[in-house]
Amino acid sequence: MEPQSVQPPIVHLSQVRKVLELGRANSLWPMTFGLACCAIEMMATGASRFDLARFGAEVFRPSPRQCDVMIVAGTITKKMAPAVKTLYDQMPEPKWVIAMGNCAISGGPFVFDGQYAIVEGADEFLPVDIYIPGCPPRPEALIEGILELEEKVTGHRRWPRVTPE
Amino acid sequence: MDQQAQLDLVYVFVFFLGGLGFAIGPFILAHLLADRGTRHVANKTTQLIECGMAPIGDAWIRFGVVYYLYALMFLAFDVDVLFLFPVAMAYDKGLAARDFVEVVIFVGILSLAIIYAWKKGVFQWNRKVYNRR
Repeated sequence: MEPQSVQPPIVHLSQVRKVLELGRANSLWPMTFGLACCAIEMMATGASRFDLARFGAEVFRPSPRQCDVMIVAGTITKKMAPAVKTLYDQMPEPKWVIAMGNCAISGGPFVFDGQYAIVEGADEFLPVDIYIPGCPPRPEALIEGILELEEKVTGHRRWPRVTPE
Repeated sequence: MDQQAQLDLVYVFVFFLGGLGFAIGPFILAHLLADRGTRHVANKTTQLIECGMAPIGDAWIRFGVVYYLYALMFLAFDVDVLFLFPVAMAYDKGLAARDFVEVVIFVGILSLAIIYAWKKGVFQWNRKVYNRR
């Protein structure tokens, strides 16, 4: 992973940037992109019961050129890794990556001596912003991840933080 | 040109500019406000295919014209049927025999098209263009 420098926009004013960040944070468009079983939980998150639309992140785009967030939901096999890299490359700036589930964080249950097929974590080749642990994470956990990302984008949290009882 | 007509023209012009602004404005705004460039990890940012897979070959190939001709024939008869609807509405309002003859002439002339296409071999599903680049 080599971080490339991105030129700032032509109009680069702090107030404009704040407004843009607010808009970006409250309408994060994820990519329609699932690799394994975590994607099932991602679909549940988008569907009516958990309803990601409440937080403005329900517009799953079929093209990487329209996306803000890549939710790496599942196991990255070494065969799939080039496709993931290509999709990440094709997303326009600003873009964020959420590693959802243990496989995307560290390889999860597939890490053992002599394994040859699995990339052990999305952060091996992508700049991951948010890690959501779980195997798979519950939809609430993914929503919390989205909210954490919103906080990372704007610098403040729009929704109350809930502590488990 | 009197005053009113000039005013109307101004309205048209203003609406035209407004429409143009709505069409081009977002491009200009995006150009001004978007980050320039994007981070990449595999240097695939400009790849045209957006499904993650590497494209195979060229998109500029020659397609077989067979289906196109077939679709063209369908279109001719589709429009034919469309013109038969008003005929059905007006049928037998006056002289029934004349209506019948007119429909027969209309459908008959259009049927010549099918015979023409038949003679030309449109309905034979052969690949006519075969050379590849």
